[in-house]
Amino acid sequence: MIKVENLRKEFKKTVKEPGLAGSFKSLFHPKSERVVAVNDISFHVPKGEILGFIGPNGAGKSTVIKMLTGILTPTSGTCTINGKNPTENRKSYVKEIGVVFGQRTQLWWDLPLRETYGVLKEMYEVPDDSYKERMSFLNEVLELEAFITSPVRTLSLGQRMRADIAASLLHSPKVLFLDEPTIGLDVVVKDNIRKAIAQINEREQTTVILTTHDLADIELLADRIVMIDKGSNVFDGTISELKSRYGRIRELHLETNTKNAEKALGYREHFHFSDDDLKVEQEGSSVKVRFNSDTVSVSDMLAYTLKMVNVKDISVKDADIEEIIRRLYRQGV
Amino acid sequence: MTKKLRIYRAFLSAGMQEVSTYRVNWIFYMAGNVMACFVSYFIWKAVFLSGNNNSLNGFTMSQMIVYIFLMFLTSTMTSSGGTYDIGEEIRDGTIAMRMIKPISYNATFLFQELGNKIMTICLLIIPMVIGVEAVRYNFTGEVQFEITNFLIYVVSCVFAYLINFFFNISFGFIAFVIKYLWGANMMKNCIVGFLSGTVIPLSFLPSGLEKICLLLPFASLNYTPVMIYLGIYKGSTLLYYLGLQLFWVLVLWGLSKLIWKISTKHLTVQGG
Ligand SMILES: Nc1ncnc2c1ncn2[C@@H]1O[C@H](COP(=O)(O)OP(=O)(O)OP(=O)(O)O)[C@@H](O)[C@H]1O
Ligand SMILES: [Mg+2]
Repeated sequence: MIKVENLRKEFKKTVKEPGLAGSFKSLFHPKSERVVAVNDISFHVPKGEILGFIGPNGAGKSTVIKMLTGILTPTSGTCTINGKNPTENRKSYVKEIGVVFGQRTQLWWDLPLRETYGVLKEMYEVPDDSYKERMSFLNEVLELEAFITSPVRTLSLGQRMRADIAASLLHSPKVLFLDEPTIGLDVVVKDNIRKAIAQINEREQTTVILTTHDLADIELLADRIVMIDKGSNVFDGTISELKSRYGRIRELHLETNTKNAEKALGYREHFHFSDDDLKVEQEGSSVKVRFNSDTVSVSDMLAYTLKMVNVKDISVKDADIEEIIRRLYRQGV
Repeated sequence: MTKKLRIYRAFLSAGMQEVSTYRVNWIFYMAGNVMACFVSYFIWKAVFLSGNNNSLNGFTMSQMIVYIFLMFLTSTMTSSGGTYDIGEEIRDGTIAMRMIKPISYNATFLFQELGNKIMTICLLIIPMVIGVEAVRYNFTGEVQFEITNFLIYVVSCVFAYLINFFFNISFGFIAFVIKYLWGANMMKNCIVGFLSGTVIPLSFLPSGLEKICLLLPFASLNYTPVMIYLGIYKGSTLLYYLGLQLFWVLVLWGLSKLIWKISTKHLTVQGG
């Protein structure tokens, strides 16, 4: 369905030296410098899959989405969607896709929402009966009724985002690109939007590529994750693969009256943890220990802890995906 | 075809709504234009009063005044903000939102601006034409309004607007690719203002230069419609200049399509 191979995008950027003198200098001798936003990215997405496309700020996610939607032309490499190249034959290509950029709207600023949908209906040649059916479905999951007669510029962020998502789904696209669709939304709206995406995906086998910084989106929606950093692939697989690949981080919580628990416990010396595999934080009497349970088993860790310090309360937690991703982002892999 | 029209009708009505939504903005913009028109009126009046002759290059003072006001009316009808709008859309990245829709980028722009124009014309044309005719009547003592000239003038204005629109779209993309949009736009406005006869009638120029200017698309923007209104272009001359306008419409339309194709490959959509 979607094939991305060795995609690369460079930007030319004019650099200005600081200060007034620098401004004059760059007026006559503009220096330009190449920025590699996307270095080398490849992945495939089969029909009907929801792909979570993640990575730290500035990783190149939005740039990839822009190339996949035909807004930017790749410097090198190819992407094919449904056998089509986005930058060739743009008009027929964009008929088959839906796009939402969370940071900006695709709706006409001055038109009332209902009219906007009317325009989109004509544009995508949606027949009357399927348009009606579609609108009532979208109305139900995204609750558009309350503001459907207002001009877009008067909508709140959450209302606008719901309206935008409805707009991207009106023509039953085969592929849906969502770049941060839940940015700045309250929990209820987030829930509704996730529900809408899941339902559409199930009903119509819509292929979805989703970028987000809210990992709950990923956990609830994504069948698979592609993680990138500095424009290159870092990980490609399911969430459970991610968990098993990057070690089972566990979190040990204990209450103790020992002042410097880390020193008293001496995990590092005893178990020979590497720097990444152990982290101890203490705040008053509560101590948080994050460790890699592949290096040391949970039972060994517990037994050793209980032996070394006087413990009032203790509990062990499975580290969530957030913790794994935090570790990955921080290391830059 | 009707389907297409229905899509673009929405842009037309969006353009019309823009005028009513931002009417204060519109009023100030128009007031600015009217003031500029009066400034040039007073300058020309001073020129005529300081000279000994009551005619300058074949223009009498009354003809000059009519010319100024007609120029104002025509340039209001045929102006196009494409260069500036494209620059803004590329700068803030909203151009991307037009690119993900299965429609022609240039056409959405065209219809939106046409909507704007229709409102402007509805509001302005009757008072302006009455004003111009009143000035003419005041000087000559007879009504000179000719309905056929006026209707051909309207057709000519439509051609002029299309030329201006496609020229501005093309210029906007080129200027953006070379990254000096603002300065280039200022320079363009100056040159076009001169070459289209807005500053001084083209017949004031040395005859060689005048001939060249008349062939360029800029004369088609303002000078040709005004000459038609005044009844100076008649018969075969009239047909010749209308044909020339049509020629430029087609050439610039083709050019704008070509430039859009090339420049989207080099476009850097910012933000996000
Ligand atoms: N027009 C541009 N000119 C120069 N550099 C750019 C341009 N657009 C993006 N970049 C650079 O390319 C890199 C990738 O940007 P991109 O917007 O794709 O990141 P992202 O993964 O979407 O980040 P975020 O999570 O913050 O949205 C960044 O380092 C950015 O500075
Ligand atoms: Mg982004």
